[in-house]
Amino acid sequence: MHDTPKNTVSFKVYGRYALFTDPVTKIGGEKCSYHLPTYEAIKGVLKSIYWKPTFIWHVDKVRVMKKLRTQTKGTKPLVWSGGNSLAIYTFLHDVEYQVQAHFEWNEHRPELAKDRIDGKHFAIAQRSIERGGRQDIFLGTRDCQGYVEPCVFGEGEGAYDDIDELGFGLMFHGFDYPDETGKDELRSRFWHATMKKGVLEFTRPCECEIDRLIRPMKAKQFAEGENLLSVDVEEAVL
Amino acid sequence: MSWLAKLYETYNQVIDNHTLPDRPDPYFHIREGCHIEITLDDSGCFKSAQSLVTEKIYGNKTFYTKHDTVIPVTPKSLTGRTSGPAPYPLAEKIQYVAKDYREYGGTKASYFSNYLEELKKWASDAQCSHWKVKAILRYVEKGTVVKDLVNAGILFSFNKGGKQMLITKWQDQAEKGEKKPPLIQSLTGGEQGNAIIRWRVQKKGEPDDTTWNDDDLIKSWQLHSETVQENNGFCQILGNVAYITQTHPKAIYPQAINAKLISTPTDPGYLTYQGKFTDDSQPVGISFEASQKSHNTLRWLIHRGQGKTIGESKNKNRPAMIVSWAVSGADIPQPLEDTWDLLSEELNEVSVPSLEAENKIDHTIDHGQSFSIALGKYMAGYKAQLSNTGNIVIMGLDSATDGRMAVTYYQEFFPEEYIARISQWHNDFAWFQRHKIEKDVGNEKTESRTVWAVGAPSPRSIWEAVYGTTLNNSLKKSTVERILPCIVEARPFPRDLVDKAVHRACNRSTKRLPDQYSNRKSEIAAWERHLGIACALYRGYSKRNSKINKEYLMGLEQDNTSRDYLYGRLLAIAERLEYIALQVADEKRSTTAGRLMQRFADRPSSTWRNIELALQPYIQRLRSNRAGFLHNIQTLLDEVMNKFTEGDFVNDKPLSGEFLLAYHSQRLDLRNRTKTKEDDELENEGEQA
Repeated sequence: MHDTPKNTVSFKVYGRYALFTDPVTKIGGEKCSYHLPTYEAIKGVLKSIYWKPTFIWHVDKVRVMKKLRTQTKGTKPLVWSGGNSLAIYTFLHDVEYQVQAHFEWNEHRPELAKDRIDGKHFAIAQRSIERGGRQDIFLGTRDCQGYVEPCVFGEGEGAYDDIDELGFGLMFHGFDYPDETGKDELRSRFWHATMKKGVLEFTRPCECEIDRLIRPMKAKQFAEGENLLSVDVEEAVL
Repeated sequence: MSWLAKLYETYNQVIDNHTLPDRPDPYFHIREGCHIEITLDDSGCFKSAQSLVTEKIYGNKTFYTKHDTVIPVTPKSLTGRTSGPAPYPLAEKIQYVAKDYREYGGTKASYFSNYLEELKKWASDAQCSHWKVKAILRYVEKGTVVKDLVNAGILFSFNKGGKQMLITKWQDQAEKGEKKPPLIQSLTGGEQGNAIIRWRVQKKGEPDDTTWNDDDLIKSWQLHSETVQENNGFCQILGNVAYITQTHPKAIYPQAINAKLISTPTDPGYLTYQGKFTDDSQPVGISFEASQKSHNTLRWLIHRGQGKTIGESKNKNRPAMIVSWAVSGADIPQPLEDTWDLLSEELNEVSVPSLEAENKIDHTIDHGQSFSIALGKYMAGYKAQLSNTGNIVIMGLDSATDGRMAVTYYQEFFPEEYIARISQWHNDFAWFQRHKIEKDVGNEKTESRTVWAVGAPSPRSIWEAVYGTTLNNSLKKSTVERILPCIVEARPFPRDLVDKAVHRACNRSTKRLPDQYSNRKSEIAAWERHLGIACALYRGYSKRNSKINKEYLMGLEQDNTSRDYLYGRLLAIAERLEYIALQVADEKRSTTAGRLMQRFADRPSSTWRNIELALQPYIQRLRSNRAGFLHNIQTLLDEVMNKFTEGDFVNDKPLSGEFLLAYHSQRLDLRNRTKTKEDDELENEGEQA
């Protein structure tokens, strides 16, 4: 019937700068961007558009529309003890991506089962995309403001449509948080990124073969009425 | 792909490639300066020793240099040496190696037991031991290192109550009138316990007695280390479990010796990872192997000349570095060189003919074709070499602070794509550039002469032409950062750089050189150089800009009737006329046309009136002296005047950079056509106003 999963949305996200930090450069403070968005970064965009702990966003495909351009900027990041230090950040300049994503119910939160109402979450998500997202959109780090607009995935000409396949090696995929995996651990996932005709097809988080334990962590608790607005009430408000 | 992973890949491809003249330092090894060399035989008996410290005198300063050697290391010995023992496995200080160091009055603590333990472990490792290691172990166990060195005269001792003691303070000997030997000079505080020993082990039938060039020995240490280190984490580069390291090497290039590419902050005040992560081992996991291999490769690439520095080390500024390489280690055409340096001997034979032949170069024909054919041949050589190898990588490095280095640019290219883009840069931005060549004419004399060779300018020449010789490091770096994508990614050239270059080329009187080099002749030579560069930039810019999209021939375009072009030609003709007239009267003044060039570019029509009126007295002068030349040049002037279309001539709007192209071509053409002997001499001295 449909060849895309249920509850699929598609939109384009664009901005003047993007910084998808390479973990290798993160600790030193001299951040350098990956050439492609990570799964986690796009998931972050989705969560800024609309999110409830009831469901989990899954990013299916990302299409790169503009040719890669980098730009370096000297910055003065803050130091905890007061004052600034100097660092050089390497951003991606003038980016645009088309995203296709869908959400699935978070089975690890049985207490929110009442909130899993078909249709309502999807309707709010669509409306949020049309309005450019409920919260501010960031492309990677918070230095890089982005904008969201609805679109049809695959329309228009992309810069990499002619290139059959480009491999990018082992890249950071995303974090496994305890509330989405059910285990009390924070793990990071990696995947071998390849871009076929400009489209990045992400592997599902559970299918990522390579992952690394970071530290033990406990999931945050959500309860309706306390720190969660149920979708019925939300819809009425909107 | 991540730059770290790419460097790792390069190491693996290059390290076993024996066709390359040199290779990166093997991992689990570093370079350390050694002071003493001991030669043993394979049963562990002392044979001889020598000091490796050399003395060099420059002016009134003397330098004592040790010998840089590749020595094996353990991860602990790289970081934990300042407090407590952390021995290098093989080549080490006397404090570690000599059992009898304390007996000879050594003042520092003896770390012999730690050293011996490590060495024993290596020597007894069944799978990866080596006969040289065993020999060294046998010798060291005897405990006579200092004794043998003192007897050989390498270490210095004095007699104290019947026993020989190592000299720790040289004052007493100095009083006796003995000069401090180089070995003592090169050690801090003259402490002989700090002298590092390297070994040679001789065995009958084995040609290589060194411990640093021996591939088998190096591999044996690497294998042994890998079995000893436990795999304690996941490495993001290798993609599997490995021995993880927290500290990474520094000293990537000599001008930024303290800067690390991957640095873990020890001060919790630096907010580089707080929040999700609670300690510094969590954000990223990199194995010792990946880190060592990648950093060694990067250092090796820079050391062998594939890195170009931008800017200088001055006033706490550090230069940036652009490194370009092929993953296979093969030679590639460097992106930041101008055509002259790139093609050096080969093309220069073509475009630099003998003096007589150069006079016959016809600047009215298009030299572009012959140039691009020659360039194509040169690039074809590279294409064939690089076609089956891995990608080409270009990486830019810079540091804002002393201890950290950032990756400012990183791109990978397919070889064909890279060669095509470089060729495109050199073809699009080619123009006549002024160069000076020195020819050896025998009798130890060199003859220098200027040539106008076809080629594209380098980023260094471009920023000199655009900004002058300002010493602002960050301006240099950002200009090169803007130009690099134009060279390797075929992007359109930034317009503001072109406009500035054109503007500066029109302004004849601006100072172009720093004080110590500035005099009348060299300023004129600099102006001519910048003129060539500005023309090259304008030519390339108009080719790549989608609105203009015009390709200019590399020569005088006789049938170009656009207003800007013709005005340029007029200016050159008027200037030549006046110049010859001044020459005839032996005057060294600058021409009216030259002085009014800036105004001419802004208001051509009205300024031309001034120039033409000023020409009258010179025309009179030439009528009596050089009638033939005068006739020719006046005919040319009329010809150009006739080409103006209706209304173009009276239009007083400012001229675009196109007029510079015409001006330069016409100028070169006239100079060659009407060259006199005096011209030649003056040109060589740079006196061409």
